[in-house]
Amino acid sequence: MAKTVFLPEENLDAWIKAMAAERRVMAPVRDHEAVVYAQVNDASAVELDTQATESPKKAIFPQTETLLSFKRMKTAESPDALDIEIRESIEAEPTVVFGARPCGVRGFAMFDRVYDNKRITDPYYKARRDSTHFVTIGCDKPMNACFCHWVDSGPTDDDGTDVLLVPVEGGYAARAVTDEGKKLLDLAETTTRKGVKAEADAVAKQALEAMSEAPDLSDVPAKIMDAFDDLDFWSEMTAACVSCGACTYLCPTCYCFNITDEAAGLSGKRIRTWDNCMNHNYTQEASGHNPRPTKAHRMRNRVGHKFGYYPDLHDGTILCCGCGRCIARCPNSVDIRRIVMRVKER
Amino acid sequence: MSKLDTLKEQIQEALPDLDFVVAWERGFDPAHATPYHIKEEADLDRMVLDATCAHNLASFLTGFKGKKVGVVVKGCDSRTVVQLMQEKLIDREAVTVFGVPCRGVLDKAKLRRAVDLSRVESLEADETTVRLSANGEEQELPREELVADKCITCRYPNPLEFDHMAGKPLEPVGDEATQCARIEAFEEKPVQERFEFWVGEMDRCIRCYACRNACPLCVCRDHCIGDSRDPHWVSQETDIRNKWMFQLIHASHLAGRCTECGECERACPMDIPVLMFKKKLSSAVKELFNYESGVDPAAIPPLFTFQIDEETINERGW
Amino acid sequence: MPVMDGRELRIVGFLCNWCSYGGADTAGVARFDQPTDLRVVRLPCTGRMDPLFVVKALLSGADGVLVSGCHPRDCHYSEGNFYARRRLEVLKQFLPVTGIDPERFEYTWVSASEGQKWQEVVTKFTERIHRLGPSPAIADAAEKLKAANLG
Repeated sequence: MAKTVFLPEENLDAWIKAMAAERRVMAPVRDHEAVVYAQVNDASAVELDTQATESPKKAIFPQTETLLSFKRMKTAESPDALDIEIRESIEAEPTVVFGARPCGVRGFAMFDRVYDNKRITDPYYKARRDSTHFVTIGCDKPMNACFCHWVDSGPTDDDGTDVLLVPVEGGYAARAVTDEGKKLLDLAETTTRKGVKAEADAVAKQALEAMSEAPDLSDVPAKIMDAFDDLDFWSEMTAACVSCGACTYLCPTCYCFNITDEAAGLSGKRIRTWDNCMNHNYTQEASGHNPRPTKAHRMRNRVGHKFGYYPDLHDGTILCCGCGRCIARCPNSVDIRRIVMRVKER
Repeated sequence: MSKLDTLKEQIQEALPDLDFVVAWERGFDPAHATPYHIKEEADLDRMVLDATCAHNLASFLTGFKGKKVGVVVKGCDSRTVVQLMQEKLIDREAVTVFGVPCRGVLDKAKLRRAVDLSRVESLEADETTVRLSANGEEQELPREELVADKCITCRYPNPLEFDHMAGKPLEPVGDEATQCARIEAFEEKPVQERFEFWVGEMDRCIRCYACRNACPLCVCRDHCIGDSRDPHWVSQETDIRNKWMFQLIHASHLAGRCTECGECERACPMDIPVLMFKKKLSSAVKELFNYESGVDPAAIPPLFTFQIDEETINERGW
Repeated sequence: MPVMDGRELRIVGFLCNWCSYGGADTAGVARFDQPTDLRVVRLPCTGRMDPLFVVKALLSGADGVLVSGCHPRDCHYSEGNFYARRRLEVLKQFLPVTGIDPERFEYTWVSASEGQKWQEVVTKFTERIHRLGPSPAIADAAEKLKAANLG
């Protein structure tokens, strides 16, 4: 493990400036009542004290991206036929996501299993994934909706990040987790401070102890399958749900997408956009049939995917990072923890 | 007997004839309530009734066709029931309305500005004060600083339509003039500034449709033109123009119908003031046709009809 | 093309087939001189006007939108323009809160014989739109946030 150094709070600005000189730096900034990820060139607008409203997902997986653009045209050789010109557009620039929490960053490890594995590689995703690195800030205190330790993570989990900063007195305990992280951390003015690693460990311990005990979720996949046909149960679980997409779009681990062609006349583009399984149209088939017609069906799918099917396919990894955004931002405070525990208690 | 106890008694008595009653229970922390279904007497124990009960439970009514249900409504929520009756979207006989007079609900954005809303440990509100503790710190704040804007200018604290009422009727605190204050102040800014304001707000929008789905009167559900491919009003792109167009579609389809329950704005996870569009439309309808939605079950919404001579519309002489 | 070099602006006209389209035709037959910024979309009746047509046109970059139909009481389908009158007046009062300049939208009534009136309406409206200038472009704010942080 690399050495833990001390980064004074006042040196953050210079560090961000140094990173911004070479790369796109995305950090949480205030936008009226919300905190969103935006490109920054220094620390002036960066807000690190609260969990960002949205996840940093869009840094690697934008909400809309153009896969290719096309233009139909006629050629002199065959004037009665329409020829087509296609231009692929893969956009990726070196990026640092600065100031996310461990829960926000963990999502990409789950994306990787689906988007970049032995069988298939999504070139758009891969280009951005390979050029994006993370400076993550650990948490010293949980929020009411936090449950990262339920899903094999924790307040100072370094899985998936390049540099981990843990808040301590006067600044942060900083540690490079990867080689790229070392390069990034070298751009900052850090000092050695005796005992700073112990300080960081104490913060991590205190944060974890402030969270109530995590249940064992390894039996949940089987329990979900047992509950599969009990639509009364899933209806009760979704009494409050309005079937919007707030939970899905704010979630760091939700990765479903839709591909549509948006054309105007003879030219247009093929775009990929975030899809959300809470929407009625999610499984709408061209025939008109919809296998998931009610919110009960769709919540069963959401909970099933996150806590059942994905773990079954991926060595028990739960498709959830415990950030709690889906709970805190749900218009009607639907709590996925409650649903999972009710499934478990059946 | 408290309002909550009276309500529990009323529901308990009506419950045998109903499939379920929609009410509020405690959510994931003391600052949040959440809707739930009361199916049997034991479920009554979980019910709460306080300033965190902001949700308009009448918004679920159109999804309960064929069932006999009960619903707990505040004053503003009851206007939804009346509007649904006006548009014949619910069978009034199949709905039992439990009304509660309301003194206002807490606004999450205001709470977040005053305290660390993500770490609330306890919350209690009475007529004048909100006592809460967050992060180990106890605070007492005046209720009027934390209630939603719509509550500060509330004209309908008492349900207009109900089968049972729990609690004494309250006096309205607002009038028409104050209700429009936010919009009037906004419209005084130069048009370019207003344009840029909405460009900024729409950029933050994540097109989750929480506003649409929380709206009690948005009944097109899966046929919404906001996400249909045919007709193709808006594309799948999440650029500002498409998101803004969706908001204007939503507001226009509520012209003369919206009862300003505020669910759209409350539901928005990015805290975008989308209610402004609908409020302006309601005030335009009020000014032109002296009509208010959700107040008289027998009234015909003005955009469903016309007059041959319109007193308030000049013939646009050019 | 005049519209490509800014000499003309993009004005969309929604005309009812019976009165206003006929009135525009009369103006044309009589060879009245008028600006050519306005491009016509023909409707069977102003009752067909969804106020969202106006909004979509303005948000898509139109610099102005003009709606014209039969005079109330003279609608070819008897009642269409009565509904239109209500809807479009509500729209006109709604636009200020949206940040779209309500001066960019106008609705009027021109009958089939009123060629002269049509010429006046188009000329006056086009002049107004030229005074207002091209409608503001919607730059996605990500660019703006980026720009705000520079330096």
